[in-house]
Amino acid sequence: MTVRTTAPPELTVTDVTVRFAGLTALDAVSFTVAPGSVHALIGPNGAGKSTCFNVLSGLCRPATGTVRLGDADLTRLAPHRIAALGMARTFQNIVTTQGTVADNLMLGRHALSRSGFAANALRLPQARREQREHLDRAREIAELTGLAGHFDIPVDLLSYGDRKRVEFARALCLEPSVLLLDEPVAGMNAAERARTVEVVHTVRAELGLSVVLVEHDMGLVMRLADEVTVLDFGRRIAHGTPDEVRSDPEVLRAYLGTGAGQEDAA
Amino acid sequence: MTSLLDNVFNGLALGAVYALVALGFVIIFKASGVMNFAHGSLLLLGGYLTAVLHDDLGFAGALAVSVLVTAAVAGAMDRFLLQAGGGPDPHTAHVQTIVTIGVDILIVTDLSRRIGGDLLSLGDPWGDSVSGLGPVTVADSRIAAIVVSAVVIAGVFALFRYTTWGLSLRASAEDVEAASLMGVRLVRVRMLAWCLAGALAALAAVFLAAFPAPGLERTTGQIALKAFPAAILGGMASPPGALAGSLLIGMTEALVAGYQSDLHVLGEGFGDVAPYAVMVLVLLVRPTGLFGGKAAVRV
Amino acid sequence: MSERLPRARAIRMGRALAVVTVLCALPFYLDAFWLRIGLFSMAAAVGAVGLGLLSGTAGQLSLGHAFFLAVGAYGYVWLAGEPGPGLPTAVAAVLAVLLAGAAGGLFSPVAGRVRGIYLGVATLALVFLGHHVLLTADSVTGGFNGRSVPPLEVGGFSFSTDSELTLLGVPFGAEERLWYLGLGLFAVTWFTARGILRGRPGRALVALRDSETAAAVMGVNVSRYRSAAFVVSSMYAGLAGVLLALSFRRVVPDYFGLVLSVDYLAMIVIGGLGSVAGATAGAVFVTALPLLMTRYADQLPLVAAPGTTDGTIGPTEAARYLYGAAIVLILLFTPDGLHGLARRLRARLRSRRAAPPPSGTTAPSQPPTSAARAKEPTP
Repeated sequence: MTVRTTAPPELTVTDVTVRFAGLTALDAVSFTVAPGSVHALIGPNGAGKSTCFNVLSGLCRPATGTVRLGDADLTRLAPHRIAALGMARTFQNIVTTQGTVADNLMLGRHALSRSGFAANALRLPQARREQREHLDRAREIAELTGLAGHFDIPVDLLSYGDRKRVEFARALCLEPSVLLLDEPVAGMNAAERARTVEVVHTVRAELGLSVVLVEHDMGLVMRLADEVTVLDFGRRIAHGTPDEVRSDPEVLRAYLGTGAGQEDAA
Repeated sequence: MTSLLDNVFNGLALGAVYALVALGFVIIFKASGVMNFAHGSLLLLGGYLTAVLHDDLGFAGALAVSVLVTAAVAGAMDRFLLQAGGGPDPHTAHVQTIVTIGVDILIVTDLSRRIGGDLLSLGDPWGDSVSGLGPVTVADSRIAAIVVSAVVIAGVFALFRYTTWGLSLRASAEDVEAASLMGVRLVRVRMLAWCLAGALAALAAVFLAAFPAPGLERTTGQIALKAFPAAILGGMASPPGALAGSLLIGMTEALVAGYQSDLHVLGEGFGDVAPYAVMVLVLLVRPTGLFGGKAAVRV
Repeated sequence: MSERLPRARAIRMGRALAVVTVLCALPFYLDAFWLRIGLFSMAAAVGAVGLGLLSGTAGQLSLGHAFFLAVGAYGYVWLAGEPGPGLPTAVAAVLAVLLAGAAGGLFSPVAGRVRGIYLGVATLALVFLGHHVLLTADSVTGGFNGRSVPPLEVGGFSFSTDSELTLLGVPFGAEERLWYLGLGLFAVTWFTARGILRGRPGRALVALRDSETAAAVMGVNVSRYRSAAFVVSSMYAGLAGVLLALSFRRVVPDYFGLVLSVDYLAMIVIGGLGSVAGATAGAVFVTALPLLMTRYADQLPLVAAPGTTDGTIGPTEAARYLYGAAIVLILLFTPDGLHGLARRLRARLRSRRAAPPPSGTTAPSQPPTSAARAKEPTP
């Protein structure tokens, strides 16, 4: 199927401001995700990380500012259009749908396929062919993410870590150029964490996509990220490579004086 | 001019009675996230009890017993049928909504069988007497409906505002988890909300069966369905909204019925369905009702 | 989803073939009473599958199904009859289905935006406004007394008793002929609905129900699919309406009331939300129960024969008690209905026979039985 060979477009966030009922959740936040890089968004709880993801995926409209993916302006697009442009995300709390792993992964293929009600109702050959082809690709992605053994298992029966991985694989099924991961290892045990890190490395190497990561596990952020943007109370307080950010005095203050490196256990 | 005043007064009286029913809906929805489809059958139960008991107990006694029994039935229904299924999860709320349809079928089937084709008198003290009120002549039962509803509704609002129960109810509607952490006894708060709604329905039955209505029929409960649009118009989770929605629905119905002859294009009896037309129009503009914010949809 | 083993597939095909054969042979053995039960059940099943798609799969509570049934039934009668354009009946039947779909489409400004309980009550308006129109638009609907239904004719073959027909010594009256029509239309429904559910649209609808947010970020056009679910469900309702009209031979407004909507809701709940087989089972249960109770009233304990008015329980009432209780009990004890019950029994049998699930790491974190699937969509 369609595996992208060129580098993904650049994701640019410029001066995005979001207000909820007088509260400023994001205050003129800007950052750029370089093609093919892993960009981490960190900050204390309530810093605006999830709001930022919601803006990127179109679930929340900014009062001012723009979001661009390559040449496309995403700022006022509906979520499903943004998805079609190659932006996929996972959620902090698992949001899978009823059915097997295969069903969930095939939902990720929705934007890439087109057979509608009539074609499926009549089971036209083209609809069946489309379904078969996308199922093959979904199975490949399941293998890539280590879910091959669970492909036909109902999601309800999977462990927490596996369900998080299903969400991850479903996002990959969109063949995204930018993948937004919202706390991908939260609630996982050490083994599951290591496995997820490995998978992120693999998909990045094999699919060449950009990753935007929100994560509290600082060890993981430092290992995975090429660049880090730090938010606090909706403002960008620091930006740079993991090493630069680690020693930034603003960041240390935001984390209540504790060294960012000791947050591993969080 | 007189006819306009007549119609407005009728609308007010209807709206006041719908408000009793709609308020019950809203209280239940606020407390449990359930749309109580059995509300019409609770109303019918209340009316039926008043009708069969008033010979022995007198009207006031019969009404008191009927209000208490209906409240108990509503509370028991919530406690033993709905809450048996599980906690305050919105997905279970959806299932519980359908359970109320089952309960409604059971109660309505049973009461319809007992009532049959009869018209039951509730033995209310107003009978068919009328009074002159300025230029208009109005049925005493309608004046009573307005007065009693106003008093009772004021009482309910006071309960909301000044009692621990009201506070707990509002807290749990805001955030179930936080409320239970603060020691709110959700099961009881919820059950009491159902009891109150049942009591209001039983009271409303009296005015729905009183003059100029011919009496209590097996179909009287269906009138409760008109409180659905009233509650929705108000935004479902807002008691003052339910009050406003009820008055709007009552007025619409009375005015459309009053000017029937001018509106004959819409067909005879359009007054009965006009509330629904109003509701659809409002929902087109405001999908969560007039007073409902986004939070009104419990998710 | 995976390729089925050829053997399992052969067994499946063989079973389906056996069921079809039995259903086709029944008119040679059953009398008109049983055939009518079957016919009404099949018509109800067509409608229930449509509602199942909307309320069970897509999670949009609808109490307006009776309205769309009415559009199908009255649409057919008007299009095929006099007064009306008097079209060939087969054409009228197809147009009536499309008309019902169009009615569902007209409702889409509401259906696409209004959610959950609000949608449920908004659809209530359809039933009441629809009933009002049926009563008042005499020239089209015949008013309170309704209209008689012109029999369907396809290629010179009439689905009525107008012409004599005897097959293998069995006289073929209206019931026998309509049985095959019902069977055919039900087969079409079964085939198409399962195609939709297992394909791309079905997955999108399930996603709408379980989480609108997740559906949207996965590329599902939420409001379009919400509306589409309404249109498709209305078309099935329209088809059921046509079949019901042909079976009753007369359409009257009072049939298409709120009670009918609730009946259909009961069917899909009893059967189990979100499955075609469940909706069918529920439809048969809700349809056949009162008819059987009436027929066998004299042999049932506690039930009086029809027509007795001494305060005992009549057969239709007994049926309603039973089915009200069925809704409550099924939802209390098995929230996914008869279909879920069957599936769990099957799974239990299979797990007793075969090895435990493939991976050691799959600890069932949440038993599927506890999850009630009638989910309200998250905005």
